[in-house]
Amino acid sequence: MTSSLRAGVVIPTVAALKVAISLSGLPDLLRNDHQLSSPLTSFSQLQEGLYLFKHGIDPYSGGTFRHSPLLLALFSSVLPTSTLFAAVFWALSDAVAAWALVEIWRARQNVSSSTRDGLVALGYLANPYTILPSLALSTSTLENTLLLLAVMFAAQKKAAPSLLSLAFLSHLAPPAILIFPPLALLLLTDPHSHLASPQKLSLNKRRIFPLVLEFLIYAGALTFASTLVAGSWNWIPQTWGTWLTLPDLTPNPGLWWYFFTEMFDHFRPFFLMVFSMHLVIYVAPLCIKFQHDPLFALFILTGVLGIFKAYPTLSDPGLFLSMTAAFPEIFPYLRHPIVTSLLHLHAALLLPLFHHLWLTQGTGNANFFYASTLVFACANGAAVMDSLWAGMRIAIGKNTEDYGIVQE
Amino acid sequence: MIQKFHQRLPVIKIILFLVGYLWMVAIPLPELGRTTYIDENALQPAQVSTYWNWGDVHTADKYLEDLEKLRDRNATSREYVQSTTVPHTLAYTFDRRADYIKNEFQRAGLSAATQKYSFSVGNTDLTGANAYAVSSSPRASGNEAMVIAASWIRRHDEGEEELNLRGISTVLALAKFLKGYSLWAKDIVFVVGDGYLDGMQAWLSAYHGATQSKELPHSSGVIWNALAIDYACHSFSHLGVFHEGVNGRLPNQDLINSFERISRYTGGVPVVLYDHVQDHVSLPWIPKFIRTNPTFQKYATNAKNVLRHVGYQAPGTPSGIHGLFHQYRIDAFTMYAVCAHGPHGFHALGKVIESTLRTMNNLLERLHASFFFYILTDAVHFNKIGSYLPSAILISIALMFHGLDTWVAAGWTVEEDESPSSDEKPDEKPSEAKTPKWTRRQRPVLPVLSIMAATHLLGTVLFLLLSSNYTLASYQTTSYILFTALAVIPLGAALLRTEQQPHNAPLSTVLKALNLCFASTIISILSVLNFSLALTLSITLGVPLVASSASPTTKWPIKGIQYSLYILLAAGWLLFLPEQTKSVLWNWEVLSVWFAPVVCVVYVPLVLQAAIVNLL
Amino acid sequence: MKLAHLWGFIVLFNTSCLCRAQLSEYFNERLSIKPLKDGKIASTLTFTTVLKNGTPRDPGLLHTEDESQHYRLFPLALGQILREYGVTEMHLTLNAGKWNYDSWGQPAEAGVGNGAELWAWIGDGALARNALAGLFCSSLGSLDELRTTSPVEVFRPEGSLPSSSLHQLRHASHPSESVCTENLTPFIKLLPCKSSAGLASLLNPHKLFDANWHGMGVHVLWHEGEGVEVRLTFQTVSDPLRSSFIRKQDWSLESLFGRKVEKACRAAGSSHIQVALPRNTPYNISPQPTVAENDEALYDIQAVNKPINVAMQYMQEFQRQDLPSSATLSIQRTLKESSQSHGQLSVILRNHQPNPVQAIYLETMPWIVQFYLHTLTATVNDIPQPSVFSNLSYIPAIPHSRPTTFHVLLSIPANSTLRLTMDVTKAFLRYTEHPPDAQRGWDLPPAIIYPLDQPRMYTPTLLVDLATPDFSMPYNVIIFTCTLVAFIFGSIFNLLTRKFVVVSVALKGRD
Repeated sequence: MTSSLRAGVVIPTVAALKVAISLSGLPDLLRNDHQLSSPLTSFSQLQEGLYLFKHGIDPYSGGTFRHSPLLLALFSSVLPTSTLFAAVFWALSDAVAAWALVEIWRARQNVSSSTRDGLVALGYLANPYTILPSLALSTSTLENTLLLLAVMFAAQKKAAPSLLSLAFLSHLAPPAILIFPPLALLLLTDPHSHLASPQKLSLNKRRIFPLVLEFLIYAGALTFASTLVAGSWNWIPQTWGTWLTLPDLTPNPGLWWYFFTEMFDHFRPFFLMVFSMHLVIYVAPLCIKFQHDPLFALFILTGVLGIFKAYPTLSDPGLFLSMTAAFPEIFPYLRHPIVTSLLHLHAALLLPLFHHLWLTQGTGNANFFYASTLVFACANGAAVMDSLWAGMRIAIGKNTEDYGIVQE
Repeated sequence: MIQKFHQRLPVIKIILFLVGYLWMVAIPLPELGRTTYIDENALQPAQVSTYWNWGDVHTADKYLEDLEKLRDRNATSREYVQSTTVPHTLAYTFDRRADYIKNEFQRAGLSAATQKYSFSVGNTDLTGANAYAVSSSPRASGNEAMVIAASWIRRHDEGEEELNLRGISTVLALAKFLKGYSLWAKDIVFVVGDGYLDGMQAWLSAYHGATQSKELPHSSGVIWNALAIDYACHSFSHLGVFHEGVNGRLPNQDLINSFERISRYTGGVPVVLYDHVQDHVSLPWIPKFIRTNPTFQKYATNAKNVLRHVGYQAPGTPSGIHGLFHQYRIDAFTMYAVCAHGPHGFHALGKVIESTLRTMNNLLERLHASFFFYILTDAVHFNKIGSYLPSAILISIALMFHGLDTWVAAGWTVEEDESPSSDEKPDEKPSEAKTPKWTRRQRPVLPVLSIMAATHLLGTVLFLLLSSNYTLASYQTTSYILFTALAVIPLGAALLRTEQQPHNAPLSTVLKALNLCFASTIISILSVLNFSLALTLSITLGVPLVASSASPTTKWPIKGIQYSLYILLAAGWLLFLPEQTKSVLWNWEVLSVWFAPVVCVVYVPLVLQAAIVNLL
Repeated sequence: MKLAHLWGFIVLFNTSCLCRAQLSEYFNERLSIKPLKDGKIASTLTFTTVLKNGTPRDPGLLHTEDESQHYRLFPLALGQILREYGVTEMHLTLNAGKWNYDSWGQPAEAGVGNGAELWAWIGDGALARNALAGLFCSSLGSLDELRTTSPVEVFRPEGSLPSSSLHQLRHASHPSESVCTENLTPFIKLLPCKSSAGLASLLNPHKLFDANWHGMGVHVLWHEGEGVEVRLTFQTVSDPLRSSFIRKQDWSLESLFGRKVEKACRAAGSSHIQVALPRNTPYNISPQPTVAENDEALYDIQAVNKPINVAMQYMQEFQRQDLPSSATLSIQRTLKESSQSHGQLSVILRNHQPNPVQAIYLETMPWIVQFYLHTLTATVNDIPQPSVFSNLSYIPAIPHSRPTTFHVLLSIPANSTLRLTMDVTKAFLRYTEHPPDAQRGWDLPPAIIYPLDQPRMYTPTLLVDLATPDFSMPYNVIIFTCTLVAFIFGSIFNLLTRKFVVVSVALKGRD
């Protein structure tokens, strides 16, 4: 029944449905939700920045506006900011992301279309973790779209648009720069699944440097353009600096905010450095281990970023979960799928309830919400580990009768 | 070890269920509770000398006379009127009342005003007028305020409505009296709400700007604590405490404990929980030697209190106007004068209120210690969260185990044709030869998830239909239609029924597994938010969901009976509890109590899934 | 007695010789009492000392040696601070209570915001807040960068500023500062007769601090060509009708201050009690005033050479009426809090006059409350009207340091109600940034409405609830989070680095 779903039907239908829901007034309730948009991605903050920008007040002179100057330029000149338009724009962004995911799936399977296309698209469009931030008009939706676009172009071997998308993405959210290595590898190899038959990477290492150079040129151009828009370099500490210094401790589903709320002042810089550097550690090992399948390395890295980045929203782990749709070959080998799903179910219900208990009802305290973010991190960690296990386990082949697979 | 655990799982599950349900029964046991204490040192209850005296009682008596005259002049106190025609006389009635109260406040030297409001539920309009006054305390910045509230109609669950005239007289006399002292650090706000819950709800939402209604002309600061006064009869013997708020939120226990001590030491009035004055619970069906046992008596009275508590908390109904304050993080309770022939009256009540206000006045911070999770078994004993929470959690764990067990079972199948292999090597491995050969099979997760999603969608539609104005207006007919729809639509799932394939698990088993896991999650999470609701759900969902039979071989007539039983459990309330359903919907429309959506979107679909399990 | 006078004369003579010849000083005191509409009594004590031809110190020359200071009447303790920090103009007020403009009208001294407020025109340098905190025993030290702004349009200099050097405005207010006896004692010490004679003897803490509203102020001004003026003020609003058994608005100096004026202060150039007389109601005032004009009775303490207890008696009971507001504008400012993370600020201004009023609306908000300016809406009589505000100026806050300054010019049409609303978000603070009574919330400073050509008006202060972390948790949180991170990190690397091996289950089971 579901196998006959076609991406060409699913995507426009769901996007239209989303616009309809957006216009029902639901987004106003969600817009300021801490789980759906962080101070760096909130639409209210963006509107505030636009208001200041249009009234000739430098939004970066204060300390609360943390969006990129490019978004300011985009929304103040090209795009209107009415609610209707925003609803359409965000739904469109989701549609593009879903289409990109379908294209990634097709490229991986090396087919021009398949019966699973619709299902893959639904994997993104029907994922509550990605729908809700999109309804809340969080710019993290746009970041997800950029990431999927970058991966899609890379899978299709289009280096320039891929690197440009990544440059845009890492301009909006600098931690995304970490997916450059697997993306570059993907550009140089192929997107097909080699999980079942790992082999050593054979590529001309010199070909990486032009890619790095190209990426740097794009990133530099974007930085320069931003400075032109903002009129000074003030925007850099206000936007990129935020990721490193964490001045805003608004709660989110991630691990950083409560840790640095409760941090002793003299240890703060040390732990900020540790937490930031910690993310970098995963890149090289994953790229080496999955050198035969850089797309899979990229996928796992997205999951790691979703757990550990500084200002995550639900859409970051949501992107990882949606991307699993493009890797169906690992499903039979997942280690504890039911446990992971139940952890996610618990976390998904606990997060909003404990948030409500703490901030609205006032009967619980901050520890309640903190505990639910821990559960959420566990769920995401379990999901990443499941996929990682499956991605390597697949090479051994099917379960046989009397033999078990363990790690040495 | 895991294998051993798995082997003993059936026993473990039964033990978990038994312990869980027994624990629920044991909650009223005095041994599980402990005596109340005051956690916040700043409160200093019953440490002040009070100034309220017989002169003030006389003032209250005079106000009472006036109010009685007002009442007698227009016997109807509150009217539900058709929205199209609002008779001028009725509007005149409540305006007069509110104006009288406002004028008295003003004569006492307070800034006072009235507030008109109207709610429309279904096609009936509920209108009224509140009166309130703000007493700005000397030298206070007006950032913080305490509230003394009374509603025109006394608190009641169902049945007769009595007027809270003495309660209102007390508020008026207090307004005059309290203003004369310069020791207040916070503003005092006096509110007389029209109607019962509606008036106070209108005032609170206007004060907090929740609705875009007209701004109140006099405002004060942040309210931390509020007292609701309920005093209708000539005199009282005990003061009762009602504390459950909207959506089952409870006030900080320190507030109730302080009041209990103040009432006992300052006012000399014993405090009881609710209006349960009698020590003896009459249970004629229990043998006399048990009935008269003091331990059993204690248990029975405690149980009565706990049951009443669950009755308020589970549906999220506020047990008095105080409950509405809880929506805005205000700790409040109702001081309920339990009718009796003496000995107490305005004098004792005034002293207790004055002293309680002084205690609230002492607060430097909002009450915040984690004193929000408790079950009061009587006025001076309570159960801590650790001594009641495990009961529901155990049931939830049992459900989870059963669900996971079913999930594992769905993933494997026994291959029957094992005879040749056992023939080959009969003497080598006799024990292993008899063990059946297990092989893996696919679990159809996607169709099952679609069924679950569809039932929840159905629940959402049911809720939207129920809360529409049309349904409320013609409940009789609509409820039958809705019930029939709920009974028929899940039958559609039977279309998904396919022939059993050896490498695919039956839909029903997988559905049952996921249904149980989901129910378990819901119960364990709700137990923190609203324990009574989790308790009720673990009773209504626990055994029924486990009992749903996932065997595809059951005969059709039996299936039909099972299915109808589940449908009755899921939606029987539509037919058999019309009044309760209507009041729950009213609570949702006016007070935003979440019980109605939770029932429709969570409870009904879960039971429907169990019904479908039987069907498949 | 005579000897003492002689000694005094000699000392006076000597000091005046030491001073620069042209610097002469004088001191005046005045008490004005006014009945208010709602039955309360407003009284204002004003003590003015003028250092004739004195000039403020040039802030540019702070590093150079200052001239020596010798004063007869001018308070030396204050003078030293003024010279040390090069303060040209300074206003410090310490108030307790909410000034009710509707019933009480405009106060005699405009600065009536609850708590402490300090504003000064000084050179480029630190505000003399710590020195003043020491002098007045109040916690002005907390008026740091987190609260300091420079809203020049509203706080214009009341005296003159030297044209030679650049002066800057520093303004800070601390709404949760409570004011009591420990602030009054140093205040009295600045007066030439202390509280032993003259009107200052009425400064009786028992009565002053039992009033419904009280506020003390220290104002330093420089009038070019005239000299440096130090004005000390104490305003109170007392309620003679507080007890519900009293029906008449009667008052006397004894009932208001618990004392009468026993003797005059010899150092005072003038010493007057001024009583606003009620209209439309019969009364009896005793003793006979020195001068009685149509609305006003005046007592000259120095002329009356005996203890004086001015008393007012009314013939009729006080009638409470719902009178229209006596202020130009009625102000209502509230913070609607839907949760601990968001809220809505709403300001309602009612213009009671038949002509439109132009007013500057100024908010100086600590960074913990951040405005969403794009949600700013204005309605006039419930009809949206964005054109009412103009000249918007906004300095956004910087987390953990600078406050927000927001000011806008409003034109409020005649006889109408203007309502401004704006969404705000509340910050989440580090656990070390919370005050000890974190669950109380934070007091927000009053907004200021400054109707052009009229004294400024203060809105009530607000209390904002900020979400708090658990203060006992630092170690636990560090442990939990680090454990989780280490666990996920460890598991991932464990998976990545270890080899897969195939083992026989049957064999393993037998072992």
